[in-house]
Amino acid sequence: MRPRSAVWLALGWVGFALLPWFAGSGTQPAIAPPSPGPAGSALIDGLTSGRWWLLPLALPLLLALAVTALPGLRARQPVVLLASGAFGLAWVAAQGFAIGLNGWAWTWLGALFGPLPLGQGGFGAGAALTALSFLFLMTNGFAGLGFMKGDRFTAGAIGLVLAAIAAFVFLPVGYVLSGAGDTGTGGFSAAALGARLAAPDIWRLSCLTEAKSCGVVWNSVFLAVLTGIATTLLGLAFALVAVRTGFRAKKLLRVLTVLPIITPPFVISLAVILLFGRNGTVTLAMSDWFGLPVSRWIYGLPGVLLTQTLAFTPISFLVMIGVVQGIGPSLEEAAQTLRASRWVTFRTVTWPLMRPGVANAFLISFIESLADFGNPLILGGNFEVLSTKIYFAVVGAQNDPGRAAALGIILLCLCLGAFWVQRQWLGKKSYATVGGKGDNGIPSQLPRGVKIAAYATALPWAAFTFVLYGLILFGGFTENWGRNNSLTLRHYIAAFDLSWGPGGLIWSGRAWGSLFTTIEVAALSAPLTAAVGLLTAYLLVRQSFKGRGAFEFLTMLSFAIPGTVIGISYILAFNQPPIELTGTVTILIICFVFRNMPVSIRAGVAAMSQIDRSLDECSLTLGAGSVQTIRRVILPLLRPAIVASLVYSFVRAITSISAVIFLVSPKYELATAYIVGRVEQGDFGLAIAYSSALIVLMSVVIALIQFAVGERRIGRRTATPVTLQEKPV
Amino acid sequence: MTSAGNWIKSAGLGLGALAAGSLIALTAIPAKAQGPLTVLCGVQEEWCKAIAVAFEKKTGTAVAMSRKSAGEALAQIRAESANPKTDVWWGGPGDPHLQAAEEGLTLAYESPQYADLQPWAQSQYKQSQGRSVGIYAGALGFVYNTELLGKRKIGAPKCWADLLRPEFKDEIQIANPNASGTAYTALATLVQILGEDGAFDYLKKLNDNVNQYTKSGSAPAAAVARSETLVGIIFMHDGINQKINGFPVDVAAPCEGTGYEIGSVSIIKGTKNLDAAKAFYEYALSPEGQATGAETKQFQMPSNRKAAIPPEAPKLEAIRMIDYNFQKYGTAEERKRLLSRWDAEIKAVAR
Amino acid sequence: MSIASKPAGVEFRNVSRLYGNTAAVNDVSFTIEAGTLVTLLGPSGCGKTTTLRMIAGLEMASSGTILIGGKDVTRLPATDRNVTMVFQSYALFPHMTVADNVAYGLVVSGVRKRDAAAKAAEGLELVGLGGYGQRLPSELSGGQQQRVAVARALVLEPEVLLFDEPLSNLDAKLRRKMRDDIRELQQKLGLTSVYVTHDQEEALAVSDRIIVMNKSVIAQSGTPDELYRRPKNRFVADFIGGANLIDGELVGRGGGTATVALGRLTLSVPDPGLPAGEVLLAIRPNAIRLRTGETGGDGIPVTVRKATYLGSHMEYGLTSEFGDLFVVDPNVASPVPAGASALATFTGDGIAAVAR
Repeated sequence: MRPRSAVWLALGWVGFALLPWFAGSGTQPAIAPPSPGPAGSALIDGLTSGRWWLLPLALPLLLALAVTALPGLRARQPVVLLASGAFGLAWVAAQGFAIGLNGWAWTWLGALFGPLPLGQGGFGAGAALTALSFLFLMTNGFAGLGFMKGDRFTAGAIGLVLAAIAAFVFLPVGYVLSGAGDTGTGGFSAAALGARLAAPDIWRLSCLTEAKSCGVVWNSVFLAVLTGIATTLLGLAFALVAVRTGFRAKKLLRVLTVLPIITPPFVISLAVILLFGRNGTVTLAMSDWFGLPVSRWIYGLPGVLLTQTLAFTPISFLVMIGVVQGIGPSLEEAAQTLRASRWVTFRTVTWPLMRPGVANAFLISFIESLADFGNPLILGGNFEVLSTKIYFAVVGAQNDPGRAAALGIILLCLCLGAFWVQRQWLGKKSYATVGGKGDNGIPSQLPRGVKIAAYATALPWAAFTFVLYGLILFGGFTENWGRNNSLTLRHYIAAFDLSWGPGGLIWSGRAWGSLFTTIEVAALSAPLTAAVGLLTAYLLVRQSFKGRGAFEFLTMLSFAIPGTVIGISYILAFNQPPIELTGTVTILIICFVFRNMPVSIRAGVAAMSQIDRSLDECSLTLGAGSVQTIRRVILPLLRPAIVASLVYSFVRAITSISAVIFLVSPKYELATAYIVGRVEQGDFGLAIAYSSALIVLMSVVIALIQFAVGERRIGRRTATPVTLQEKPV
Repeated sequence: MTSAGNWIKSAGLGLGALAAGSLIALTAIPAKAQGPLTVLCGVQEEWCKAIAVAFEKKTGTAVAMSRKSAGEALAQIRAESANPKTDVWWGGPGDPHLQAAEEGLTLAYESPQYADLQPWAQSQYKQSQGRSVGIYAGALGFVYNTELLGKRKIGAPKCWADLLRPEFKDEIQIANPNASGTAYTALATLVQILGEDGAFDYLKKLNDNVNQYTKSGSAPAAAVARSETLVGIIFMHDGINQKINGFPVDVAAPCEGTGYEIGSVSIIKGTKNLDAAKAFYEYALSPEGQATGAETKQFQMPSNRKAAIPPEAPKLEAIRMIDYNFQKYGTAEERKRLLSRWDAEIKAVAR
Repeated sequence: MSIASKPAGVEFRNVSRLYGNTAAVNDVSFTIEAGTLVTLLGPSGCGKTTTLRMIAGLEMASSGTILIGGKDVTRLPATDRNVTMVFQSYALFPHMTVADNVAYGLVVSGVRKRDAAAKAAEGLELVGLGGYGQRLPSELSGGQQQRVAVARALVLEPEVLLFDEPLSNLDAKLRRKMRDDIRELQQKLGLTSVYVTHDQEEALAVSDRIIVMNKSVIAQSGTPDELYRRPKNRFVADFIGGANLIDGELVGRGGGTATVALGRLTLSVPDPGLPAGEVLLAIRPNAIRLRTGETGGDGIPVTVRKATYLGSHMEYGLTSEFGDLFVVDPNVASPVPAGASALATFTGDGIAAVAR
């Protein structure tokens, strides 16, 4: 234990005594003089500038140093490390929140201690490093006392994930939700909260009895359930076709299913309108050929359901395929030898083993649908859902953040409910199918009925997607899509023009700036998201600790809240000390990491619960640490999940809009924000050209990720005997 | 422990170090937004970009411009109020600017060019206690699809009353006033023309002809352009925009009179670039600054009397403008009351 | 380089493992000498696997002290203990070749790749799988996979080698061969091994000592011979070797033996250290002989209920005044037919008295 604690301790001292404690950001007002400038460490600043409250941080550092350096005290090391780490962490947080830019952050502190002559800026590198050091000293202390089987890595990882969730999910969401009982004058009243929660336009059921619209909650739930069912079935059908049939164009199928996920959301809506709108190609054709009346059926529930299903099926597919691939063939063979027919085998063995995948896919789609904002916005018509209602409560003419907060609470409760139902359904059964014993069975062919159903679901949908994308790609080359379809390159030239100037290459196209920022943000956030997500999944599946269920729910929190609310909450929480991040690229990355983490967790959990626990235990007994076990045993077996989470987080960082609309700063404009601006302007050509370029870019990146991570090699034979021959023996 | 054991330990340290490293790297990325003047822009993106470039050329001060809808801008400014990162809010309907002024989010400032401004621009200044001033005006009107009208042989709507004609059944779009400032302006305009009860009577009848209450104010213009609907109620410059983009649309001002928005500019209270902010404010009011609109095909009426009026702009003189009471209909109270009534009487019966 | 061993002893001092309020292992103390093979034997749920996992460091003791090689390892995680384990499921990494599996522990401990590969090859040779290195685990038979798992645990030269029911997935013949091979390897290399099984025959065959566990505590520990011949309680007597349990009475002790009365018979048994009075007699099936044709003498009259011919021996089910008896008789030349009356006599060995 000593070396590692010593390193963290040393880093803690570096952060405290050497690195600048405050952020070097110049956006904050000059900290009240005398200011040592951004270079001052906590030690120097505390001694010279009168920020005495930084000095007590030396106490836990000294204590930890004493037990680490003096051999006589070594027996007490864990307890002391735990205590000093906890104290240090608490002090860093307490002083940070209590003392703001201009002295006390809360007036009652001023009343208690008298006024404070000077304030402080946001945390900088020194503060971050010191806080991390305290965190790990504390978790090392816990591990030293035998928690988490004495595994420092696990203890540290749990501490890190919890701290990160507290800072980047709890804190901001807390800011927003605490506004639900806001009376408008800064006070809090339960009556105001109750009135907002019970508003009739949320709950009324009038659509059942008369020709009026129902409350938004019912609309949202109805839509989410339909979307959840549709995407889960489609995802399952695609996964079965891709893994369990001899279908020849599997690769193409996979590409098609992944296309919608890499499309900026409004593009699908736009294409759907152009196909099925009142003036749409399909609508007019139907009217001409069959005399079907032209209508606006697409605006409202049908349109939103259609676009959401297009948008979320790929996620469901990515979750399902890992699960379907992981089912041990010998289990099915066992069932067949027990005289079960293919159909009975499917129903009694294959299907139950797929349940974690089905449940996870449904949960993700359900929550995505609840939180989706772009599609209801464009296609919703008069069909109102919670997410749009929240958005307009914040930015609409009513400007009622309290109402938004109340609606946010309801949305959270819905997600909580879905989560609970999922847990009940899965129960405590074991779904481990990748065992330590080599499995040399051959996956059974699907029963005929299931096969036909899978084909009948997947293929038309694939064809539909194909047509839609053909249209979108084509649209970028037309003068004015849907109006003047003569071909042109002018949109692409406008967006991506390059020219030679005196200083060399000039990126003169209008899209380059936002494109580079977008790629930078996506490339930074994707690996971080996958890492944090899979680490969390590992903790959830492989470690048992008190409050694991609560921990799991917490990790889902940021996903369940619509992007707009997250965006507002991030500004509220991170615009001022102690954590001041607005206007930086950091806030974009953090926002994406914590927003997309849940998908990565779900994929990891689903895949990891299939891997027999004895594999990692064995690795531990062979002398590999938790880190090595994860790297050498778990990660290689998790490749499908890694691909899923990398792809998803990269793509989401490029395509999502609502969460970051408040966070993009002039310096850091993102592609989607730019594209939506073009759409508002009616400049569809450039918007579609830009979107097509993004789609191509993301396809390339996905291919690269697939190639880099590779397939999972567990020596399992595939259903087709042809490929069996190719396997090296 | 063997050297192998130490190696394992150092590997274990790796992940922690990675976490620490990335966190520090993240916090250490300096906030590059500093230096330039930060402006939230409420008009179309081209115009945002054009005025930023023009201002930069003229003064040498770099401008970081971000386009936000009015509601988003107000929400952001409000959320940032403890430690503002924005210096100027330029463009967008006057209503939310008034709201920001009411909440004390913006700074009072009197421009030397005040005397050159149109009376409606000055009234925005007065109503906001000097915290905001008009830079352009845009009148409320109709946009309609000429091709569809011709095909169906329906006359173009010219008056509010025309919209109640049965041939427009299911053919009109307007935004939801709860979501959109445009639609709220329409609601307030109708209340001022017809009286409150008369206005709600009218809206109830209009409801039969409305196929969709959109969320964005300019969405009906786009829908008309794509032939998804016949008529939209919008700010006229949004309709003209579609026309310029090559769609078969035209705009009209209602014969009974119409309301308008006063696109405004405000300086954010707590700005750290006050001098630069004032310079931008002045530039936005100058004829030179206001000319950037027409240069980028934005056809609102400029507020400086010395500014050239773009020929495509709907002539405010030719439009019967009502004496829009921004003071009354801009307050949070009145707004809430009207919107609640709209919710109860119109939204509840909408399909 | 060759595979050696660094055997170390294991000591448990008052170790408990609690899950909530239930104890999986309750106040257990024992010592395992370096270089010996000790079996943890008991029915499912008796705590033997938990005990094994605590030696490995995969479970943490709730209280008590665990020492390996005299060093306190109670709170040391699995990674840092020099203990390896052969899992019931083999736990072969499915994505690695056999050679990579065996070299895994060496590679993660920082041994150079080439040395690790050489040693892995040696380990495979040792378990008779030379030349199988490049296969994937899924391409091996169950017995071969088992050997890979053993080789993988061996090449690290652990202080203690643990086996968690290693043979439960193999067929009977292979099982016998594997257990002999394991014992042979253990003795050849002088390993300290702890072996968990619920199969008493397997335990008797491979162990230097056996620790019998029941209901979270140690029922008895000792050499196979001690446990078989001098079980301390009814559970051990019944679990190891099987026994006919009959009520008797202890009437006298002395000189390491005790005298018990069974009906009108008196039998001499090893001294159980119990006071005079009612005891339970545990009579091994092979400690009973059947005599036909004579009544009287020092036996008890029985009726043969069932007779089964098994080639090497006969199995009888008897009815007597003391209850049903089960007998294994090597005499196949003149079997007693079912339905016959006979006299059951007792050999000196194979009878023990335990507390009732």
